[in-house]
Amino acid sequence: MAYSDKVVDHYNNPRNVGSFTKDTPGVGTGLVGAPECGDVMKLQIRVNLETGVIEDAKFKTFGCGSAIASSSLATEWLKGRTVDDAAKIKNTDIVNELKLPPVKIHCSVLAEDAIKAALHDYQEKWSKAEAEAPGAASKE
Amino acid sequence: MPVPLAVGFGKAAEICREVMGEEGKRLGALRDRLQDLILSKVDEAYVNGHPTQRLPHNLNISFAYVEGESVLMGLNKESALSSGSACTSSTLEPSYVIAALGVDSELAHSSIRFGLHRFSTEEEVDFVGRRSVEVVQRLREMSPLYELAKEGVDLKTIQWKGE
Repeated sequence: MAYSDKVVDHYNNPRNVGSFTKDTPGVGTGLVGAPECGDVMKLQIRVNLETGVIEDAKFKTFGCGSAIASSSLATEWLKGRTVDDAAKIKNTDIVNELKLPPVKIHCSVLAEDAIKAALHDYQEKWSKAEAEAPGAASKE
Repeated sequence: MPVPLAVGFGKAAEICREVMGEEGKRLGALRDRLQDLILSKVDEAYVNGHPTQRLPHNLNISFAYVEGESVLMGLNKESALSSGSACTSSTLEPSYVIAALGVDSELAHSSIRFGLHRFSTEEEVDFVGRRSVEVVQRLREMSPLYELAKEGVDLKTIQWKGE
């Protein structure tokens, strides 16, 4: 099958491959997909707890070239966004940017799921912890 | 039936009868060379099919933790291979042929089929073997499954969130 130039570029030069230690302050981890389906994405964000801005993002993906490209692109787009802004990234944005054909749309859906899962994990671990940090005073 | 086709087929059958025995031995040796080259450099690479009762020109290997189509994408400029990966098909079900051999679905997504032919050479085999090793190693460095496995996590114990 023919891949778009952008998919080939992300496959050959994936951005932000790697991992953060899961318990680093501000890190949220999303792990989505399943090996028996042929796609697994791990996407991580590191959020500045003061500003709520995503300062860094990393991924590792088991999947086809389009899955690798979708998650690589997602990490590029996540950097510098606020957590709220990050939640607005849609799979259709990824489809358009990478010119994914219909059979590869599930790759972009998985990347959106990975973003949501990472944001959710961040909020569970750090956003709520921040809110509760003032301690006894804020508890009802 | 067009006469030229019938004559051509007859000639092909004649050549086949003359060289098949010898050619089978040559291809089998090349196939073994490719297999040894790859298996000596890549851990958790599994040959699919019967160890001895198989076609001499065919080698089918599953590389754990990397997806087949992504391996093909790394090699498609220089060689024509195929995969049991179902990533491009509408079902996402991997090859039923590989599945029928008893290969589980994770490894079926990771299978690569190498085919040799009458004009394949040792140099070509060595080149494709070397490149395959490079591509698989590169993809493993970006595979979350490989990372988990190296951390000692049994992938079968993870509750995967499917698509």
